[in-house]
Amino acid sequence: MTRQTPAWPDTYGDEAHARVGFFTDTSICIGCKACEVACKEWNQIPASNQGFTGESYDNTIDLGANTWRHVAFVEQRKSLDAGTDGADLALAEVAARNAAADGWGLQTYQDGDGLRWLMSSDVCKHCTEAACLDVCPTGSLFRTEFGTVVVQEDICNGCGYCVPACPFGVLDKREGDGRVWKCTLCYDRLKDDKEPACAQACPTNSIQFGELADLRERAEKRLEQLGDAGLDQARLYGADDDDGVGGFGAFFLLLDEPETYHLPPAPVDTTRDLGGLWATTAAAALAVGAGVAAAFLGGRR
Amino acid sequence: MQEISGRHADGSFVSKYQELKDDGSTTCGSWLHAGIYKDGVNQAARRKPHTEQNWIASEWGWSWPANTHLLYNRASADPDGKPWSERKKYVWWDEEKGDWTGLGDHPDFVAGKRPDYVPADDATGAAAIRGDAPFIAHPDGLGWIHAPSGLVDGPLPTHYEPHESPVDNALYRSEQRNPTRQRYAHEANPYQPTSGSPGADVFPFVLTTYRLTEHHTAGGMSRSVPYLSELQPELFVEVSPELAAERSLEHAGWATIISARTAIEARVMVTDRIKPLRIEGRTVHQVGLPYHWGRRGLVKGDAANELLPIVLDLNVHIAEYKTSTCDIRPGRRPRGPGLRRLVEDYRRRGHAYQEQTEPRGPRQ
Repeated sequence: MTRQTPAWPDTYGDEAHARVGFFTDTSICIGCKACEVACKEWNQIPASNQGFTGESYDNTIDLGANTWRHVAFVEQRKSLDAGTDGADLALAEVAARNAAADGWGLQTYQDGDGLRWLMSSDVCKHCTEAACLDVCPTGSLFRTEFGTVVVQEDICNGCGYCVPACPFGVLDKREGDGRVWKCTLCYDRLKDDKEPACAQACPTNSIQFGELADLRERAEKRLEQLGDAGLDQARLYGADDDDGVGGFGAFFLLLDEPETYHLPPAPVDTTRDLGGLWATTAAAALAVGAGVAAAFLGGRR
Repeated sequence: MQEISGRHADGSFVSKYQELKDDGSTTCGSWLHAGIYKDGVNQAARRKPHTEQNWIASEWGWSWPANTHLLYNRASADPDGKPWSERKKYVWWDEEKGDWTGLGDHPDFVAGKRPDYVPADDATGAAAIRGDAPFIAHPDGLGWIHAPSGLVDGPLPTHYEPHESPVDNALYRSEQRNPTRQRYAHEANPYQPTSGSPGADVFPFVLTTYRLTEHHTAGGMSRSVPYLSELQPELFVEVSPELAAERSLEHAGWATIISARTAIEARVMVTDRIKPLRIEGRTVHQVGLPYHWGRRGLVKGDAANELLPIVLDLNVHIAEYKTSTCDIRPGRRPRGPGLRRLVEDYRRRGHAYQEQTEPRGPRQ
């Protein structure tokens, strides 16, 4: 079972729905960016042309107020002198293939020749312990009956507390608007029993929508499958209730370390240590107070 | 989609193209797609898992025509209509039913036509095809190893190098290029010499053009769509790290790509995905250009197609639009008369020629 955030879903009574989310299986992402376009079309997000970036085929770069789905393109060169772990066999194969290609007098890009073109559609993680939600002073950020985290555009006052609170840099203020915008997991579509626009548009089912418990199960099976196929670096990202944010509502299957995809390896709920910090501060204040008092008391002697 | 699929006069949906009539009693937008909305259901959206149907998976999506997964599948049975072997059986003749049947795919043959059917001498159309001739789209119903008529070249396929190529035809030394190719003499369409001819080394690189997912053909439609334009906002040229080093091209900087037709500019993408080719013991570099930009739209840029020669295949008159030769240098292209001077210089040094002045030689 997935962990539930405090006060959810009990506050919804009969309206509560099983927690839903995304399982983004990057092993079958083809980089078509249909999710980016479908998201913008459905949610009427302004275009935000950043020009040519030179980051492979990625001209979006990161998630932001105007980008709620972002497809990363990573051109990964496998080094031939890499360590002696389980990936060694594959690398030997790579070397053999390169040698063969030299022999044939032909060198074109193909699978297994030492280069991987990784593609991955990133999105708001809809954390179990969502710091953005905890720091929001207006109640604009709330957890829906589906267990997702949504900003209410008519309540957000643009204070921006949530922006640094997000461990992934997802929350962002829109220029010229001032308010914060992010993925709603298509709250309006969920209300109508429709899956989110990105998941519906995804032609390979790299983006899968469903009840989180089902998705976790499906992801475990997929991971096993990939392991059997020799992809021993494949891993789930955000499918662990005991991670720093209590697991993601939108989690991922990655083919390499999170850093490869520019994702933080160990994200932490930024409010996690707040209690401790306040306690320390209080203790320090007490100590200072006691010191000052002692100085005055001592002075009278 | 319903209109494309088609209906009968009573409003019910047609289920396959064989139901279409030429008497006005049926409608259909495309015979190939007739039946894609069979029974009022979007057949293409069906997603029955493989665990609930056999390996043919005829209830996953839909394939034209008539949801046929293997075309000409009557060929899976011998001339008598029996499977060639038990292991390979797929579609066969059921004498009891008097029709073709099988594992579940749509039999791609005229329903009820017996394997021993012999057409009358005056038969036409589908009726003129024998019961043991599975290739029903051919006039004789037979499979062809080569095209006996209708082509200006052939009859057997071979390999020719493009009109402009940096290498010799390795397969077919006596004919470097297709001798039937259509050429045009025009001052805006000078040709570059091909491999081995004087001036060919002025355009030493393979030029190839291709599409990106985000744009449609030359971009006339997609460059006006903000959500597509922002995803691929500028023309770029893809080169290998080796070529970038050789020509001092800087990643994300500008480069000018030059042919005998014109010169265009593009942002530079240095990538391991483009590899130098090794052909006949030497290195041949490739220059890759998506061709989706032009002078109008939300995003603008030079048009890669302007670099290419107009050379057509004589059978279907399609231009050789995917490959040619070029040079590349760092920086943006000159504007105005400077551009003309640059291209003129390349034409002179590169021995560019108009068709009627092509130097005669052993390769012509």
